[in-house]
Amino acid sequence: MTVEVTPSTFTYVYFDSAYIARIAQRLIGLFGLENHNIRVDINETTPLAKMRIEFGDPIVINIQSGAFEDFSRPRQQSESATTQSLGRILLKVRDRLSPEFANAPADKDLTLVQVAIWETYCVARLSRHDIDINRQRWLYNFRNRHGFNDASDRAFEKIWNSNDLTWEQLQNISDNALALVQ
Amino acid sequence: MRKFFPVEDLARDERFNQITMNDRMADQRTVITTDSRPSRAANRIVPSRGDASDAARGLMHGIFVGEIQALEGAGRTCWDFTTGEEAPFELKLDMARQCWDEARHVEISVKLSDWMGSEIGEYAENTVLFQAACSNDPVLRLAGVNRALEGLAIDVFTTMKEFGEVAGDQYLEFAEDWMLADEVTHVKMGSDWLRKITEDDPERRKKALDFQSVVDKLFSYGGTRSESQESPIGLARRFRELAGFDDQEIDVIAKLSLAALEERKAAVLEAQAAHN
Amino acid sequence: MADAKKPRAPFAPWDRRELPGLFSVEESARRVGAYKWCELKLFEALGGWIATVPELDVKMRLGAHCYKHAWHAELWHKRLPELREMNPDRLTVAPNEHMVCFIEALTEPEAPELTIEKLVGVYRVFIPHFISAYTFHLNNTSDITDAPTMRSLRFILQDEFEDWRDGEMLIQSLIETPAEVDRAAAHQARLEKILLAAGGITGSGTIGFSTPEHEGAIA
Ligand SMILES: [Fe+2]
Ligand SMILES: [Fe+2]
Repeated sequence: MTVEVTPSTFTYVYFDSAYIARIAQRLIGLFGLENHNIRVDINETTPLAKMRIEFGDPIVINIQSGAFEDFSRPRQQSESATTQSLGRILLKVRDRLSPEFANAPADKDLTLVQVAIWETYCVARLSRHDIDINRQRWLYNFRNRHGFNDASDRAFEKIWNSNDLTWEQLQNISDNALALVQ
Repeated sequence: MRKFFPVEDLARDERFNQITMNDRMADQRTVITTDSRPSRAANRIVPSRGDASDAARGLMHGIFVGEIQALEGAGRTCWDFTTGEEAPFELKLDMARQCWDEARHVEISVKLSDWMGSEIGEYAENTVLFQAACSNDPVLRLAGVNRALEGLAIDVFTTMKEFGEVAGDQYLEFAEDWMLADEVTHVKMGSDWLRKITEDDPERRKKALDFQSVVDKLFSYGGTRSESQESPIGLARRFRELAGFDDQEIDVIAKLSLAALEERKAAVLEAQAAHN
Repeated sequence: MADAKKPRAPFAPWDRRELPGLFSVEESARRVGAYKWCELKLFEALGGWIATVPELDVKMRLGAHCYKHAWHAELWHKRLPELREMNPDRLTVAPNEHMVCFIEALTEPEAPELTIEKLVGVYRVFIPHFISAYTFHLNNTSDITDAPTMRSLRFILQDEFEDWRDGEMLIQSLIETPAEVDRAAAHQARLEKILLAAGGITGSGTIGFSTPEHEGAIA
């Protein structure tokens, strides 16, 4: 397998591509994705933080620079943000490659609610790998999509504590929470 | 303790990292999208945005540090001027009252940041707000801080209150509405004192109003705040009226903000053309 | 009491207020003027310090307390014309030169490392002196003629007690080493000596003792 990071040098931000590759390598090992070639393309012309996957060989991960940035030191790279963002997207890659997520809609068709449940599921698993995560941030994100109520919080809790959900199970938890308040 | 405190010396613990407007302008990346598809043309911080919760957290941290600087600025106006000679006693009483209000606003924004899952110092602190509070004429300070800065606070809180309302976040909506009430009072203080002190001094009044529009323009930098949905923060006409701005004044700010937005968009297109 | 015509004593049996008081109108006005001057200097200093202290909790407390002392100054400002001083600025003065020196020494610390000194000056020296001066006034003025001053004193004293407790707790939480205990004590002693020479918030006789021997205490 290979891990490639582009660009190799940056103009608009102070990022280090070798450093990003090392973090990616560690996470790839952690998630058992060693059999795949992966390229991380960083779009340094925007401070936004969106991430996108293109399946093929290699698997390409498009990342906007905000996803790796230290917001307290604009344009500087944050180890923690890099780890969290790469961790989230690589877990999503792993989900996509597994039969349990065969029925998940294509990324462009995911609703905001679906994005939130999947992200929650990724971050929750990431937090169990000794990676520093602010749980409240993701709870707040989840509440913004499922409502600020007990049903929403219970659904979050359920997803947060799970390791081997299928897409259908994930969707069910979310649907139930939304149905309870409608 | 010195009179007139330099912005570089604002006391902070190790969690904070301060940046200036120059640092911000040195960042050539931009958040203003030039994508013409309608779904992308909206930057307003609303729950329907894909990155809504993160955008709201970033804005809330901006509010938090802005409240600290507003607190510090009002406090400095109590200290920097000789009572009676340079600043009326009653003006200082208003500034002391503002200190208490801003201290509560800091407390509120810390609680809200916890609620939203942000940490103190997670984002950089732009010190532009305190800079507007550094003028050595108290009238200019009131124009820059109470009318421009606090006016911006009205716009920001209105945007955040609406965000809470739409998302069903009553905790956020409740707190923002209370802060909004205080800020309307602060803007009114500025408007009242400006009128009173410069009653017989049209030149000083003009200087103060000019300074206000410089600060207004600074806060509109990059089209961050305008009536266009392309701006993250809206212009709160109704609450500005309550605070003593007349229609004409609001129109001027609206125009200025839109101009700043257009300026920024043009700069982005230029940068992108150069990049490609 | 159904009989509306039945005479009743103007002072109920439980109302033990007495007419005499220690202060003439002029002396009361002089004291109130000094209170206003001192509260004014205090709220100005608290406001100025906000930007200089890095501790967030202290920063916010100073903001809240700044307003309280401004409100006290306002109450005294409004009381002065009621005490026949139509130009309140005339009596808004320091009781003596020593008090001016005290304010200078109190407001000297600026560096971010000096929060202990800032707080000690306010909460271990200045505010305890306010509490003494106000209590003395409250206990010695005429219950009947000077009731408006007493009402303000009670409100203000309530604030002073609460703020003193806030400040003292902040100081205790900031002091972590024996050396810092010494720092706090040394600063307190330095300021206390100046106030000794000043004789207190309203000068000699602030709490009833005329103390000419205090003069020169800081010589
Ligand atoms: Fe505020
Ligand atoms: Fe304000």
